[in-house]
Amino acid sequence: MYNPAKRRRKRLKNFATNALSLLASVVLVIVLWEALVNLYHLPSYVLPAPKAVLAALIDGLAQSPTSRAGFWYHLGDTLTATLAGFAIGGVLGLVLAAAMAEFRVVERILFPYVAAIQSLPKVAIAPLYIIWFGYQIESKIAMSVTLALFPVLLNTLQGFLSVDRDRIDLMSSLNASRLQTFWLIKLPTSLPMIFAGLNLGIVYALLGTLVAEFIGAQRGMGVMVLQLQSVNDTAGVFAILVLLAIVGYLLIAGVRMVQSRVVFWSGGTTRKPAA
Amino acid sequence: MNAVSRLAVENGRLEKKAKAEVLLDVVDVTKDYETREGEEIRALDRASLSLADGEFVSVVGPSGCGKSTLLKIIAGIEHKTSGSIAYRGKPDRRPQSGMGVVFQTPVLLPWLTISENVLLPIRVLRLPRKAAAERTRDLLALVGLAGFEGKYPGELSGGMQQRVSIARSLVHDPDLLLMDEPFGALDALTRERMSLELQKIWMSNRKTVFFITHSIMESVFLSDRVLVMSERPGRIVEELVVPFARPRRFELAADPEFNKLVSRIRDLLGASIDV
Repeated sequence: MYNPAKRRRKRLKNFATNALSLLASVVLVIVLWEALVNLYHLPSYVLPAPKAVLAALIDGLAQSPTSRAGFWYHLGDTLTATLAGFAIGGVLGLVLAAAMAEFRVVERILFPYVAAIQSLPKVAIAPLYIIWFGYQIESKIAMSVTLALFPVLLNTLQGFLSVDRDRIDLMSSLNASRLQTFWLIKLPTSLPMIFAGLNLGIVYALLGTLVAEFIGAQRGMGVMVLQLQSVNDTAGVFAILVLLAIVGYLLIAGVRMVQSRVVFWSGGTTRKPAA
Repeated sequence: MNAVSRLAVENGRLEKKAKAEVLLDVVDVTKDYETREGEEIRALDRASLSLADGEFVSVVGPSGCGKSTLLKIIAGIEHKTSGSIAYRGKPDRRPQSGMGVVFQTPVLLPWLTISENVLLPIRVLRLPRKAAAERTRDLLALVGLAGFEGKYPGELSGGMQQRVSIARSLVHDPDLLLMDEPFGALDALTRERMSLELQKIWMSNRKTVFFITHSIMESVFLSDRVLVMSERPGRIVEELVVPFARPRRFELAADPEFNKLVSRIRDLLGASIDV
């Protein structure tokens, strides 16, 4: 039977175990890394020592948000583009998938294009976006939308199309309208799949932003990586990679958190919604 | 008047029932499917039956004989190929309040609480919620689930979930209750207990029940009349009247007349399987 206190204790214990083993492995990697650099006298532009990376990270973060040499200035732009791309791509993916699932005509018209664009390496569109939208944030958002859209669209469509026949039959037996069936059954039933799409979407939104920044932009973490690379500041590049890994992790964790609130009924155990 | 009830009157067995108002009249309903290869398959062949107000009628037949199809056509979930269905004398009109349908699986929505699940027909049919809330409590008490209002379906056993779905099928007070092998997915013990409970529920509200089962014992135990269907294409080959007074108890299984009915049905089914 359901026992919240016991479950919470168990989860806490799991969390503590995971955190400890993670910490141990991180410490081990850093120690090995430091040893490797010292042992073979690797030049710092090939592999900087962990100390140097940490110094670069602290230095970058210590700068004022208005300074072009600091991380915050660039990170702000990257994050804005990522979140905007995720939001637009997510909503667009959801609406298109719903329209395709509900109306055969829409599906017939759109599906060939979806399939075609899906098989195209979408990164190749980036230079086109630079031509259309210029070197500002618009190009980054466009690329971010392009990459985030498809996982959301395809997963959501899959969700809508695999709604249990019995649930639809139940609604038909009650003379339910199509709109009622959509809101009361199809949308909630598809939520686990929608979130599977959103989990991928957030990662792709960040990827799209960085690609656009590599191709041509004036601000952003991607721009900064290129600048540091050009002056052989490898420690700085590493510092940005660490920062991006943390940002990516936090973005995914954010989506997961919303997911566990919204789709509380799905995934092995049945839990009550968090109050 | 259709063939079955005409026959019943001629035999003088159903004179009393024939005088009760006819709720549902199904005449020569046929259902053809087209397979993917373009082959026509007749699932249901000129099925006729009528249900009087307050009557409990079972349909037994070999699997795949079209008995579920017949129920789905009556419920308005599937279209018929030909024939007619009249509801209270009005052809092809479905009851305003919808029907109550119980499926083989509970078909509960895991994101809604038990009482929200029971209230689903009220939401879909836009009936006043206030009176329904009280009715929901009463119905849950009737099916033995008082106090489970705020739980989620995942916290209940299969038998309990099916009882919730019975409460849901009654909440909007439909005249006709359609049950499609409602106990088919339950274990033998739970199944027997559910038969007794269903009898209790039926005695307390006297809804017209159209009950599909592949258990011969269950059909005889619960019904006023049992309709026996042939193998596909399904036709109703015989109608048997079950005379026992209610409440019926399982000791009835030792009654010679009960057993005569059971073996008669078994013979009919056996004959149709041999064909």
